Amino acid sequence: MKVVGARLPRYDGVGHVTGQTQYVDDVRVQGMLWAKALRSPVHHAKITHLDTAKAEAMSGVHAVVTWRDVPLLEYGHLSALGIPADEPLLAKDTVRYMGQPIALVAADDEDTAQAAVNAIEVKFEELPTLFDVRNAFDEGAPKIHQWGNWYPHFEGDMDRRQIRKGNIEDAFDRADKIISGVYRPAAIEHVPLETQVSLVVPEPDGRLTIYSCTQALYFSLAVVAAHLEVPMNRIKIVGGTVGGGFGGKVDTATETLTALAAMKANRPVKWRWTREEEFLVSSTRAPWHMEIIDAVTEDGWILGRKMLTLHDSGAYARFSPYGLTKHSFHHTGAYTIPNLHFDGYVVFTNRTPTTAMRGFGVTSISFAVETHLSRIADELGLDPYEVRLKNANRINDTSPNRIRYTDPSSVEVIQALSEAAGGELAPAYAGATRAPREGEMLPEHLIGQLKTEGH
Amino acid sequence: MATHRGFGISSIEYPTGMNQNGDPSQAWVKVKPDGRVDVFSGTSDIGNGAKTIQSQIVAEAIGIPYDWVTFDNSNTDSSPVCTGTFASRATFVAGNAVLKAAMDVKQKILEVAGKEMEVSPEDLHIVDGEVQVKGSPDTKLGVADVAAAATWTHGVLMTGTGAQLNEYAEITNTLTGEVSGPPHAAISYAACAAEVEVDDETGDVRVLRLIQVYDVGKAINPSLVEGQIEGGALMGLGLGVLENSYPYYPSPDHRGYSIGSYYMPSSEDMPEYKTAIIENPSADGPYGAKGIGEMANNGQPGAITAAVHDAVGIWVTELPITPELVLRALDAKAEPRREGKLIAFDEELSVNSMASGISWSV
Repeated sequence: MKVVGARLPRYDGVGHVTGQTQYVDDVRVQGMLWAKALRSPVHHAKITHLDTAKAEAMSGVHAVVTWRDVPLLEYGHLSALGIPADEPLLAKDTVRYMGQPIALVAADDEDTAQAAVNAIEVKFEELPTLFDVRNAFDEGAPKIHQWGNWYPHFEGDMDRRQIRKGNIEDAFDRADKIISGVYRPAAIEHVPLETQVSLVVPEPDGRLTIYSCTQALYFSLAVVAAHLEVPMNRIKIVGGTVGGGFGGKVDTATETLTALAAMKANRPVKWRWTREEEFLVSSTRAPWHMEIIDAVTEDGWILGRKMLTLHDSGAYARFSPYGLTKHSFHHTGAYTIPNLHFDGYVVFTNRTPTTAMRGFGVTSISFAVETHLSRIADELGLDPYEVRLKNANRINDTSPNRIRYTDPSSVEVIQALSEAAGGELAPAYAGATRAPREGEMLPEHLIGQLKTEGH
Repeated sequence: MATHRGFGISSIEYPTGMNQNGDPSQAWVKVKPDGRVDVFSGTSDIGNGAKTIQSQIVAEAIGIPYDWVTFDNSNTDSSPVCTGTFASRATFVAGNAVLKAAMDVKQKILEVAGKEMEVSPEDLHIVDGEVQVKGSPDTKLGVADVAAAATWTHGVLMTGTGAQLNEYAEITNTLTGEVSGPPHAAISYAACAAEVEVDDETGDVRVLRLIQVYDVGKAINPSLVEGQIEGGALMGLGLGVLENSYPYYPSPDHRGYSIGSYYMPSSEDMPEYKTAIIENPSADGPYGAKGIGEMANNGQPGAITAAVHDAVGIWVTELPITPELVLRALDAKAEPRREGKLIAFDEELSVNSMASGISWSV
């Protein structure tokens, strides 16, 4: 092979590092207006009064968009997969997080747009808030979402994602040690250099050209078309070059509202978020709460795992049900554990809705599982490499979903790490491979499982 | 008061493509009259190198130089469906789509060349931009000449299309989590070791070195793979010891609102890297490739946590491992509750300690 495997320079690298790449905010068109949003100043409230008349009457203001202007107010990014929508494009009667958009103003410049936002009359009746996922289930907890405090629409009307495999009680009975821990990685920001931005140009033929920083052109096309209730050929998304996304630009953050403002004003409109909006209002990686209880033998085999996950979704579901499902499918990490009992909930809180970010659903698991394994090795006085090599996925082992691994390389990467770090493995571990288990690497608890699953 | 060194490891896996699949990517390719090739794909390039990788795949598959390929992902009028750049899917899923489109157009090129050379297309292949008779490399015709003949002599537009769609894996048992088929494409594996230094007076944790091994299936472009691994590692380091959107979580107060008030890793936090790539080809990725874009920030936090324990004997399980958490843990010298065969850590963080609506136990 000549081209595949070659260390070629990045296709678009020169443009990026010399500042010549054209990003969305670099695009300026004749007659372009600028947008600013009215956002909720409180975490949870009823909207008791909303009057945009003064803002609309201001000189230089060309459109004020509220929920009344949105043809389909609620459409979820995963509606196409059967996950129902819960989040209005603009708040109608309730705000559930600080910063939730209520109206969008398009004006001659950003200062005029902001002055018009400030002129919108809005009143709130504040409601009790919920921020700690652990208290979401308490009897006295404030109810903060129309569906209750946790997502109730998993397949089969389940209110949680559940994995059950093998016989968990038996695993705990047979265990030499039962080791439990709680793992709580923080929410973090995506911090793209390019903040959320879009420019929408109404074309003479009635189409809309939408300049977008989306990570997913067709996702955005489908979402905008659904909200506007127009066929896809009415919209052209222009993009493909993104100034950093890391998952935060899978959501269609600005395109639909900018389009509505452009249609109402019949002028091109650009909406670009300030750095402060990017930090305080854009989605974060979710904070997770994970509790792991492992049943282990003295020599480091993991017989069974019980796990509880509370996924802090923020005020709306967005991609969280998808993220939690992926999380549940991978909750054994790179290891084979035959007896499993997993319960996971997508919990609503009054914070900015969380969303996809690099490693979605699994970054949390990798941290929790690996820290827990290091603890197990430490408690049992075993080599952390050896505990991992023992339990590492091998051909014919099965995943939490009972899918057989056909070509895992966890054994190889652990061995290569040991070598790169200057370590020395005992012969039984240095010679291990991905091949189906046999001998010392096929303990009784896995023989039983392989038989049950017909391998 | 002193600094202490520690070492810890982790080993992780990560799937390629959307969980449960069902996420299409499509592409089409056309040939200009001088043999240069235009690729239309809907894959956004978020800095992951999608434009480069997909162009390399097309050049390799057809047998033409890399700089003959122009890549266009600029809009939804000319580019077909791509679900998007996420779920570590751009190289694998979208890469398969452009590979299929390239193989399709290659067949068209060979058919026109066969007519021009009066040779059966099955007996031809393309090497370095020239169509050659297999086993007789001197009997050849440039792809540029084939493209000219297609345009001006045969009246043919040479195009190719490709689509990749891995079958949706339905959850067939919502109680157990059983699925109808594999819920993702290839799985990638990696392992990570962290060396840290912990200051027991200030609580400061510095990551000195990260040693990382990734099975990438096939490195389509080793420089870009290393870029993903080392760039991702810095994000993992941020997750481990620096970043927090809610410094007083679960409270929403005192959030950082600017790059100056939020602790992102910067160049001075960059550790020494040692990176190794293993190529265990996937069965169905383009040229055996797997996706590793996302997992690149998954391994470091667990390795760092273990290294901090190795250094000063504390387990900090709330991220990031801030100086405050380190100092509090050093003061508390917490031991797990040991009762019979139970060893219970972190009980003060558990739902059992503070919630009445949900409980959790063996």
